[in-house]
Amino acid sequence: MMAIHAKTQSSQSTFDPVTLEVLRHRLDCIAEEMETALLKSSCSPIVKEGLDASASIFTLDGTTLAQACAIPIHLGTLIPAVAEIIRVFPVATMKPGDTYILNDPYCGGTHLPDVAVVMPVLSRAGPVALAATMTHHQDVGGKSAGSVPTDSTEIFQEGIRLPAVQWAREGVFDETLTRILRQNVRIPDIFIGDLNAQVAACKIAGVRLRETADRLGDETLLTAFRLLLDRSEAMTRAALKLLPQGTWRHVDYLDNDGIDLDRRIRVEVAVTLPGDGTISFDLTGTSGQVKGPVNCVPSGSLAAACFAVRAITDPMIPNNGGCFRPISLRLPPASLVDPQAPAPVNARTATIKRITGCMLAALAGAAPDRVPAPSAGQLLVMAFGGRRKGGENFVTGELLAGGSGAGNGFDGVDAIETDATNCMNLPAEAMELEAPIRVNRWTLRAGSGGDGTWRGGLGQVKEYEILDDIEGSLSFSHRGERHFVPAVGAKGGAAGTAARSWIMRRDGSSETIPSKIVTQLSPGDKLVIETAGAGGYGPPSARSDDARRADKANGKLGPNID
Amino acid sequence: MTSGSPAPHHGWSVGIDIGGTFTDVIAIGPRGSVVLKVASTPGNPSDAVAAALTELSTKHGISPRDITRFAHGTTVATNAVIERKGARVGLIATEGFRDILEIGRQMRRQMYDLRLQPETPGWLVPGERRVEVRERIDAHGAVVVPLDQASIDAAIEKLRPLKVEAIAISLLFSFLDPSHEQRIRARVQEVLPCVEVSLSSEVDPAFREYERTVVTTFDAYIKPVVDRYLVNLAKGLAASGVPAPLQVMQSRGGLAGVETARQRPVRLFLSGPAAGAIGSAAVGKVDGYEDLITIDVGGTSSDIALVEGGTVHARPETQIAGYAVRVPMLDVTTLGAGGGSIAWIDAGGGLRVGPHSAGSDPGPACYGRGGRLPTVTDASVVLGYLDTSGLAGGAVSLDPALAHASIEETIARPLGIDVVTAALGIHRITNGRMADGVRLVSVNRGHDPRRFVLLPLGGAGGLHATAVADELSIERILVPRYPGVLAAAGLLTAPISHEVAGAFHAPMASTKLSDVRREVAVLDRRADDLMRQEAVDGLPRHRKAFADIGYVAQSHFIEVPLDDDKDDALSRLYADFETKHTQLNGHKTGAPAKIVNLRVVHSAVLAESRIDRPATQAAEPVRERVRDVRFAGSAAPVETAIHQRSALKSGDRIVGPAIIAQSDSTTLVPPMWSARVLASGALLMERT
Repeated sequence: MMAIHAKTQSSQSTFDPVTLEVLRHRLDCIAEEMETALLKSSCSPIVKEGLDASASIFTLDGTTLAQACAIPIHLGTLIPAVAEIIRVFPVATMKPGDTYILNDPYCGGTHLPDVAVVMPVLSRAGPVALAATMTHHQDVGGKSAGSVPTDSTEIFQEGIRLPAVQWAREGVFDETLTRILRQNVRIPDIFIGDLNAQVAACKIAGVRLRETADRLGDETLLTAFRLLLDRSEAMTRAALKLLPQGTWRHVDYLDNDGIDLDRRIRVEVAVTLPGDGTISFDLTGTSGQVKGPVNCVPSGSLAAACFAVRAITDPMIPNNGGCFRPISLRLPPASLVDPQAPAPVNARTATIKRITGCMLAALAGAAPDRVPAPSAGQLLVMAFGGRRKGGENFVTGELLAGGSGAGNGFDGVDAIETDATNCMNLPAEAMELEAPIRVNRWTLRAGSGGDGTWRGGLGQVKEYEILDDIEGSLSFSHRGERHFVPAVGAKGGAAGTAARSWIMRRDGSSETIPSKIVTQLSPGDKLVIETAGAGGYGPPSARSDDARRADKANGKLGPNID
Repeated sequence: MTSGSPAPHHGWSVGIDIGGTFTDVIAIGPRGSVVLKVASTPGNPSDAVAAALTELSTKHGISPRDITRFAHGTTVATNAVIERKGARVGLIATEGFRDILEIGRQMRRQMYDLRLQPETPGWLVPGERRVEVRERIDAHGAVVVPLDQASIDAAIEKLRPLKVEAIAISLLFSFLDPSHEQRIRARVQEVLPCVEVSLSSEVDPAFREYERTVVTTFDAYIKPVVDRYLVNLAKGLAASGVPAPLQVMQSRGGLAGVETARQRPVRLFLSGPAAGAIGSAAVGKVDGYEDLITIDVGGTSSDIALVEGGTVHARPETQIAGYAVRVPMLDVTTLGAGGGSIAWIDAGGGLRVGPHSAGSDPGPACYGRGGRLPTVTDASVVLGYLDTSGLAGGAVSLDPALAHASIEETIARPLGIDVVTAALGIHRITNGRMADGVRLVSVNRGHDPRRFVLLPLGGAGGLHATAVADELSIERILVPRYPGVLAAAGLLTAPISHEVAGAFHAPMASTKLSDVRREVAVLDRRADDLMRQEAVDGLPRHRKAFADIGYVAQSHFIEVPLDDDKDDALSRLYADFETKHTQLNGHKTGAPAKIVNLRVVHSAVLAESRIDRPATQAAEPVRERVRDVRFAGSAAPVETAIHQRSALKSGDRIVGPAIIAQSDSTTLVPPMWSARVLASGALLMERT
């Protein structure tokens, strides 16, 4: 095996830059092709509709060469999994058709539904790269269908745990392992089918990369890999060096962990730019690990850091593991961001969003003109399930975003997905066709954007009414954020308005939802959701009269009176 | 190839396609074909049409009186959006839903940008001009809140002082019951008779309120602009003595007359790429090639389309100025790599090409219009691929010294390589990206690219075709007789056609064929109404039906042909859906499926015009006979024969290295490739 980290800047000038660039596009295209195969052949609805899967090519030492992902939360997400697999199974021993799987967050995974599948890519001479995929599976067992129990208190309730294990040897699958897997999930055919889709995607990388290796020769290919990584590292370092030196902090909070409803969860980030082209994120000060499932293993902070660095540097830098080399993370042990087993972790998405927001807000200290004020940074996840009077079951869900932060020279965007996630909402007509629920109104949440020279983006208001066509009541879960701690403003801008949700029961009583709840809704009950607005930027006194007039005319400031 | 109806022996058929830089013109008539390019006139696009008519008349002796067919591809609808020059629109929505247009689906396209842009075209109708009426129809089409007359009047009174020129009306579930929208329109027309009205139940009667509202609002926004343009152009043509009616290309690949096009302006978006794909399919068919991958290499981008069995498939949605708009459109994929793509060196010392483009202004350095940055076209000049006396029949002249200097300064010197190596590198990177684009377009749709014939078009398609074919192991390349004006030619091969769709929304398990037939009959009547407004009597007519199908739990669906006259139509529909699902997505599940929409397409086939024979006056003077050219693999110059396309005869075989030049494009035949002239006039290229 060659030492990939060896610096060979001198070879850059002798290596043909055209071959390098063609190869770079080729690698991106292969990852893209893997991702398409993965998305198209998976059965899991969260993959098909939520695009929650990613495909990567790695070097033999576990550095990302190319990655295709449709949502940023997957950025770099396979790095710890691949590291663990090659630690347990040295690449030198790998044979064609060998297949490794892993999902345990405490061994390099993310949360249990995300299963990593890794296969070696071999040329005639031996291994040249690793192909890796990660898919959010529909169900991996545990206490509730879907394997994301909002009330879990330890990981054993969340599904089957797989450390790095070998599933196939030279193309022959381990039937014992397959039987164990099948026995531990609710829909074995779909689980194994989706794993097979991951294997098929890895094989695509094998075929395509082998063609390239045959054309270029292994030696050239491996040199090119190294140069591509070095190049992205050099570009990232150069971009980071343009930022001022210093350390900047930001503190924000998650509402609660779904178990202790009155306890806010602190997230603290200190970002340091020492001026040498590196960047470090220190999360010391962040809350200790919590009872509920919002704990987030280190891969989550890594994805957040990769996102923040990519956003703050030049978007034209080819994205690969070279961009991540200048990044270091310090995660306090036994904390929210480095929990110890068996802490539950399935609801880590909200945590990753908050970490990403904190990292960006801290970076605003270094680049106040480029980083906007904090966004709402919430993605409300709701699920409704029950039975119609005719006996037919229904299940539907909703994902609602708040506004994005205002920045230097621009207002925030109303009702838009930000940072680590990128999900669509559900059209009112789609919900009404699927479930006995009516949407009574759906508007922007006037007045919710933080005031400022530039105004924060607005949240949204959506009111649902449960119709008569249900047997008894329906079960409803609401996983909110930003109910208790709003998105602050920047440079003198005001904070956005916090989120609010409440249930108006048919009898006229009203119940406030404390950010997270699992409850029942009956016919005639109404549910009102108001997602959070984002922070404003700059002093409100400097907002132009024209902008204020337009806001007033267009109903962005308060209820549209008439 | 010629259809049963009388060919226009006496007259000329003229196709004019307006592009960003050039307006492409083809005329086919008793003396053969004439092709030309005139400069586009974005300020007033019909000026380019007038210039084209003048040139046809003065230089080619084709009098306006002899033009018996006139088909037109226009960017007027798209440009109105890009330049934000549409109407001042008001929007009427269901009570509680006035912000649908601005909320959208909350997903962002630029995942890593810190400065987010709105993903929805809220600017089409700012909040001030969005009003509500009290009414509600539910998911079963039942009226749960009757339409409140007073609220209609109140809504109209709010819009009146805001001086709106058009009103879009988009109510919840209007696709199940359009009566509320219709009653509001009637009232608007009484009170504000000069205001144009677009109804969501007519523009796009399908579920998902945001998507339906956006397309309806765009319809209202561009209606007055499209109206003005088409009416003026039709008047202008009549005034200059053209007897032919004006026909315009729609985004799904069919022509419409002025009157019907004005009723459905949103269907005129992006008609250019559609015409190019239709033209390619027609050209392939002449020579018996029905499975094609077409690549149209333009200035800023390349359009890739897949022709399967002679047909270009439609897709339900397209992008207009960055917004997803639910207008059915031929499935053409745009790749950000074209002749104007700029080559540059990044901070890590890597050679990059694109995504930035020099466009047509200033254009590549060799245009001599002030562009200093090297582009793919500059590389083509340095490599000797292009005749420097001019592109587009001399409309643009090229300065090789400027091309050379820009590559030398920006690329070669910093990298420490010579100019030719740099130019070859720029080409190789571009060709690699094009091949990757073709690979993704074909593989993503379940096709192996090796099974297809590559058909290059656009002025530069022929420069990249063999490299792309080599990269993908494609065996054959078909170069049309006039690759540079194929979109214009496509206008003359497209049928007159109208598509009408309606939401259906029923699980297949509980659907009766009689219900489907009843709904399809309603759609047929509406399509018939549209066809009756076209002058298509006596022409062969076709009618196709389709259903959009998805598995019950899916939010996506697939368009599947529906043989509604067969008794087992529904079981066939399900089987065909699963086959297509397997092809596109790699698997089928056997799970219950649902019908989402039904659709009919009625078309009338016009007498097709063959584009085989140039008109007698060859506008392609013989220039040089040999030139030093550099091919991939070696920087050494190769003495290469230059052939004039117009001088080639059917059966001629040219063995590479060679360059085949013509006024609208250039074809590169590298060593190891040969080109044969087919009876149709097309070139078939294969490896030697």
